[in-house]
Amino acid sequence: MWLASTVGAGQLLGGRGASGQPQPLFVEVPPSASGIEWVHENAMSPSRYLPEALGPGCAFLDFDNDGWMDIFLVNSGPSDFWTPSKPVRNALYKNNRDGTFTDVTEKAGVTGAYFGMGAAVGDYDNDGWPDIFVTAYGKCILYKNNHDGTFKDVTEKAGVATPGWTTSAVWFDYDNDGRLDLFVCSFVDYSGVRKLECGNNQIGRNYYCVPRVFKPTGSFLYHNNGDGTFTEVSKGTAIAKALGKGLGVVAVDINNDGRMDLFVANDTVQNFLFMNRGPGSNGRWIWEEVALQAGVGFSESGRPRSGMGVDAADLSGNGWQDLFVANVDHEMFSVYENNKDETFRDAAQAHGVARATRLLSGWGLKYFDYDNDGSVDLLLADGHPDDMIDSYSMQVKYKEPLLLFHQGVDRKLHDISESAGPVFQKYFAARGLAVGDYDNDGALDVLIGNNGGAPVLLKNNAAKGNNWLGLKLEGVTCNRDAIGARILWKAGVKSRQRLKNNGGSYLSSHDLREVLGIGSAAQIDELEIHWAAPSKRIEKLTNLAPNRYIRIIEGQGVV
Amino acid sequence: MRKFTVVLILSIGAIARAQTPQELIQDAIQKQQAGDLEGAVAEYKQFLKLHPEATAIHSNLGAALAGLGRFEEAVPEYKTALRQSPALAAARLNLALVYYKMGRIADAARELARVRAEDPANGQVPLLLGDCYLRMGREKDVIRVLEPEERKHPEDAAIAYMLGTALIRDKQVEKGQLLVDRILRNGDSAEAHLMLGSAKMNVSDFAGARDEFAKAVALNPNLAEVHVLYAKALVLTGDSDQSSKEFKAELAVNPFNFDSNLQLGATSRQEQNYEQANRYFTRALKTRPGDPGVRYQLALIDLDEGKPDEARQMLETLVRESPQFTEAHVSLSIAYYRLKRPADGKREQEIVQKLTAEAQAKQPGAKAQ
Repeated sequence: MWLASTVGAGQLLGGRGASGQPQPLFVEVPPSASGIEWVHENAMSPSRYLPEALGPGCAFLDFDNDGWMDIFLVNSGPSDFWTPSKPVRNALYKNNRDGTFTDVTEKAGVTGAYFGMGAAVGDYDNDGWPDIFVTAYGKCILYKNNHDGTFKDVTEKAGVATPGWTTSAVWFDYDNDGRLDLFVCSFVDYSGVRKLECGNNQIGRNYYCVPRVFKPTGSFLYHNNGDGTFTEVSKGTAIAKALGKGLGVVAVDINNDGRMDLFVANDTVQNFLFMNRGPGSNGRWIWEEVALQAGVGFSESGRPRSGMGVDAADLSGNGWQDLFVANVDHEMFSVYENNKDETFRDAAQAHGVARATRLLSGWGLKYFDYDNDGSVDLLLADGHPDDMIDSYSMQVKYKEPLLLFHQGVDRKLHDISESAGPVFQKYFAARGLAVGDYDNDGALDVLIGNNGGAPVLLKNNAAKGNNWLGLKLEGVTCNRDAIGARILWKAGVKSRQRLKNNGGSYLSSHDLREVLGIGSAAQIDELEIHWAAPSKRIEKLTNLAPNRYIRIIEGQGVV
Repeated sequence: MRKFTVVLILSIGAIARAQTPQELIQDAIQKQQAGDLEGAVAEYKQFLKLHPEATAIHSNLGAALAGLGRFEEAVPEYKTALRQSPALAAARLNLALVYYKMGRIADAARELARVRAEDPANGQVPLLLGDCYLRMGREKDVIRVLEPEERKHPEDAAIAYMLGTALIRDKQVEKGQLLVDRILRNGDSAEAHLMLGSAKMNVSDFAGARDEFAKAVALNPNLAEVHVLYAKALVLTGDSDQSSKEFKAELAVNPFNFDSNLQLGATSRQEQNYEQANRYFTRALKTRPGDPGVRYQLALIDLDEGKPDEARQMLETLVRESPQFTEAHVSLSIAYYRLKRPADGKREQEIVQKLTAEAQAKQPGAKAQ
């Protein structure tokens, strides 16, 4: 019985199969069915070099603009501590529109060259075709989409060959000039210390060093010059001054001032909340790091945690963006509710998230409405970073379960993992997590990157019976991906809104389309698109029939 | 715990100038012996109005009040008695026991140490003093006090248990293990399982420790600290529900157990049940007055409850006393920001950054650069 009938949170929908039996909310699609045979190579060595433990990221993107989500998977590669004995490459899988995928990596030219970590997808040149930025230990790569199923490595020309060890990255338009800029998280300074071995544990072998032992680093902000090049603009700002160990980042407007801010999860040092204060008198952009006073830098007991995955969404539906951070075991994850004054309170305990995550280490995650009932839910991908943890911990395991939380009518997140399907009883060394509707049925599916293993594709069955409307937004004056746009909709008596954030999760990139769940409502009565600056346009649409994707172009409406 | 020693002074001729007071005292003593403590208290008080200099009667009154559980009133009576007659060992022992009952373990330990110094032959005191030190986390003092006693009384299971526990907690596992073995030879006892559990905790075998403590609880739920140790093992093995029950069970036996009050207070604070948290922390402070960890938790409650100025005062004191207390600097910075004192908030934030950088510089990865 996988259908969660009641969890004190209202009826959950799982649909019924041909036999009339309830179906799992999410079903694992095996490689034999999807055609995704690629396996992540983590390069695990006896020395246990830390980069081995942190990948991989993954992404949903429609690289060929055929309206169907394709899949990109990041792999490790040659580095100063590892020379592969056989070829190791990323994978780009084209969606065959029938539930299967075809590996087109070689043809597309996105095999990678370094020890890859994650991927950030965005249309930085506003040409209507998604480009891919791949982070790595070694050097990043920017793949520009050639519109013909292939990509070109433009890293050097674009000026984004970020050195060191980079992890999550996010495309967003911080200066509202209509072009996507790029923020890249930098993890620790691993140069010169890769021979550092952390060992002599209870089983007498090397294990992965806790990041605490490595020096923190500053992250990178690249301004899009509009000519295919970027300028690194973090120098002299709070972004460069704040030395961290960044693993996750989400671009989000915290104070509803129309400027996208940045929330960065750091490992073993405090998180950062970079408030976008706009241009200064000297023309230099002003960023203010306010995590401590905002209450999101440290645990409520004043300690830095091991932040990894992040996300932002309007969890409570009050028009203000809330935050989420996944931490390591025994630290509990954080559900930061927005106090509307640039401060937050951690409500993880009240939501039951603290208890559910106490023994887990979280990476990829996403706030999204998996059942299209109109409320934001939560999916967490977990796994301990130390592959030997089972040998010396009674409770914490290397492979950990996925967790699914449903938001009930009481506005609380309820852990429904036990009743969500067999895949939630399995254990993974999960890292990246991307959400996207690969079969265009309006139910957002999930892709999980596993360290040293095959990715997991989860088909969503949970939204059956609820209505929805899918949006593909295309900016004209604002950035093409419409990052920063605000979507307001009314269906029946319920009015809802969503800010089109970007980034979040860990090392991963989601389907850029928006699916608006409306439950049992027969249509969307009113829809408003408040395009991101510099656009001042508001698109207003009425009486939209559900259960389809529509394309809305800034200033043109539905096309 | 030991019963209070009732020091009954029968010879009061020297202070009783009239028949009536003498009869009053005799009647009070009879009432106390018969269990009519309220009556005894009334008559002692009546007598002391006439003869406040009667040292022994203050001590008697203290005992009667303590018997009624009116510890706060008993303390000044014992103190008066001891001010008038500092050598009144029985009164000092009783005062120590009252402190112990009140959870003022540090005060109890101080008085017991004086009794021990003045009356080394009193065999009751070392065990009591060792128990206080164990509750205060002063394992080395437990060892100092109880090692000679253990040599004198090698078959005393209580001494062996307490000393063994202290040795194991003090990482002197081998010496502690010898005492464990001795207890084990005496059969399947709660003490033995408790010590085995402690030993397993020290080597991070939390599940093993949990199982031993569970057996100890089953055999003797009234054994000192048995519930709190079981609760700690349960916390470490991820059973927070059961651990809360065990912490509460410990408090049912010993309402002033420091760890139980601290843990349940922290849990209550996390659950935003601040009134309950305050009650736990206040009791924890009685056991370990001035404990910086508890005071920090109380400051966090003030912050959580929107009382940043109260939090600020507590936190300013804490960082003055412990300048390296990074967490307190973090919270103090937050308090200043909430009080719209950004300059002070920034100053504290810079201290946090400095302390963090100093800690980072000590890490091996930094040295390898």
